Amino acid sequence: MRWYVARRLAWALVATWLAVTLTFGVLLAAPNPGADAAAAQCASQDRDPEQCRQQYLESRGLDRPAHVQYIDYMTDLAALDFGYSESQEEPVTAAIADAWIYSAQYFVPSIIISVLIGYSIGLYSALNRYTLTDYLGSFVAYFGISIPNFWFAIVLILVVGVYFREASLLGVSLDALSLRTYYETSYGVFTVENAKQLIMPVIVLATASVASQMRYSRAQALEYANADFVKTARAKGASTWRVLVAHVLRVALVPLSTILIVDILAVLFAGSFIIEAIFQIPGLGRLQLEAITQKDTDLVAAVTLIPVFLAIVGNLIQDLAYVLLDPRIDYGDR
Amino acid sequence: MATDSRPDTFDSVDWDRVEADTGGVPVVAVVEALTFLAFGAALAYDYLIVPEGEPTVLDWDVTAVEWLFVAVLLLGLFHVVVPLARSRRMTAYYWRQFRKNRLAVASLGYLGVLLVIGVLGPAIWAAPNETISYAEAYAPPIFIGGDLASLDHALGTDAQGRHLWHLIVYGIRVSFEVGLIAMTLAITIGTIVGAVAAYFGGYVDEVLMRYVDIQQTFPVFILLLLLIYLYGASLFLIILLYGVFGWEGTARLVRSEALQRTEEAYSRAAEAAGASKLWVVRRHIIPNVSSTVITAATLSIPVFILGEAALSFLGFGDPGTFSWGRTINAGRSDIDSAWWISTIPGLFLFLTVLAFNFVGDALRDAIDPRSDSG
Repeated sequence: MRWYVARRLAWALVATWLAVTLTFGVLLAAPNPGADAAAAQCASQDRDPEQCRQQYLESRGLDRPAHVQYIDYMTDLAALDFGYSESQEEPVTAAIADAWIYSAQYFVPSIIISVLIGYSIGLYSALNRYTLTDYLGSFVAYFGISIPNFWFAIVLILVVGVYFREASLLGVSLDALSLRTYYETSYGVFTVENAKQLIMPVIVLATASVASQMRYSRAQALEYANADFVKTARAKGASTWRVLVAHVLRVALVPLSTILIVDILAVLFAGSFIIEAIFQIPGLGRLQLEAITQKDTDLVAAVTLIPVFLAIVGNLIQDLAYVLLDPRIDYGDR
Repeated sequence: MATDSRPDTFDSVDWDRVEADTGGVPVVAVVEALTFLAFGAALAYDYLIVPEGEPTVLDWDVTAVEWLFVAVLLLGLFHVVVPLARSRRMTAYYWRQFRKNRLAVASLGYLGVLLVIGVLGPAIWAAPNETISYAEAYAPPIFIGGDLASLDHALGTDAQGRHLWHLIVYGIRVSFEVGLIAMTLAITIGTIVGAVAAYFGGYVDEVLMRYVDIQQTFPVFILLLLLIYLYGASLFLIILLYGVFGWEGTARLVRSEALQRTEEAYSRAAEAAGASKLWVVRRHIIPNVSSTVITAATLSIPVFILGEAALSFLGFGDPGTFSWGRTINAGRSDIDSAWWISTIPGLFLFLTVLAFNFVGDALRDAIDPRSDSG
């Protein structure tokens, strides 16, 4: 087992190195959008665009031979130096340090909600197939995986932010229910106002992952729904929830945990761009969007690598957890 | 072929194939080869003879994506429609299974109508930019009423007076192009990689699956953003990237399925009879994992469609196309005065994705007797 853990750690390092090298290679091979923008700006001021492009590249050391740049890049990264962000006018690490808290504010609640709700509905409906709850559950699952989250966010804004402000139900104004549509950064992190303005982003982000957690957990639990140990537990008079939590969840948790990390990361990362763009939250997704529109290559590269690092670490933790959780797994030959 | 040397008995002969046999090569294969030859000739004509910027036929300048789309539709004709039409008994059986799920049948009908509109619609309805008329901007849909509402633009108009229905029709074309082309690419690569990894095993398996691991850690969406940032957005690039970087799930699925198949008697028998490894993979492994592949294919289409729409929504889509995502984004700023611009195309997108998910799940239940997702 130690041998397996050691090999898994080594593989994580190799994967990190490959991902960084690939990103570097792509950036090196592609035309530099920042240099293009500099050249275009010079051309509009009647100066020689080629000279400006050269200046741009020289000032960033991009005219040096590829291997020198590569070694430089790798040593900088190893020291956690991602370069300087021109659009934010501060080092990339500082820009990321400012932004991540805004992403985490809706990220963490979404993950907790999607796991809690997704697993409980999924497990429950597996043991109570063809009931109203089961049908309701699969309706929610289809709804969640099919609805485009950007459209869902817009419809929510339309209803909660626009319609509720003027509508009334049985003579009672619904204005109290209407929420802020755009994020206000001046509120403190742990205040009621902040929690209220995060409700919509959390709902939008959680919908998609609730649905996928629900599908996986239902499929897993179905495998054990008729297992002997479940029948025994029921025969002994255990309640449905006890059967689910103490018996089914315990065995289902191992495969579920393997899907959880990678799947959640994928759903949430793509979602974070959209949510931060729509609700104007100044988090990592918006940082990346700004970096792209303002041709800020250092920042683009850094914000590209963060999800990759997280995914690699997530994979690593997941594989190690798998070995610890399930003693039956044979890790000898891989 | 070694397996043919057995004496044939009446019931062991596949009579459909014998009937279609014209001296060794099936008729369908000949027709398919000729069709693709014609397709290649047309493609060469467009790229070698027709001058840049001139329409290919009449006033239709066929783009690279449209060429790919035609190729994918032809492939679908020869490898889905023709086999289904030729083996009526199995088709009827599958249909009986599929029909049990009424929602899926309705979804299939809806998708069929959309496909026809998407393919033929642009020939009937003018391009959205030709309907620009600022006098008619923000006209509400006909069922809302209002001064500007008219049958001419029954679903309303956007900020530039473009007819919403035309935007939707051209959006159907984009969504189907993305979904079908990217799916075909991803499924082909994924199936080959998965089957080869499972059958050859050893180092081949290790290298291929490690690559799959790496590809999986690189979120496709992030990679797409990076590459679009560097090379600029075009529908062709987006489709290609989704196809080339979206197959790791299929490869894993096919590999685990194929691992079981390689152990089965027919694979062993073919090997013992002297079949080459490639032959076993092509003739025995891949056909026997096809039910997994078909389900994975159907369920991957909505993912690609949603991905492209999300990219377009963020403003990284192809500026020359009328993607639903772009229309939804454009209507976002007028959400409190003209809600229909964002919501109606969004509803189409939602229903399309939902329909593909319904059909995919029903297909799995119909053609894969082992699955019990029910």
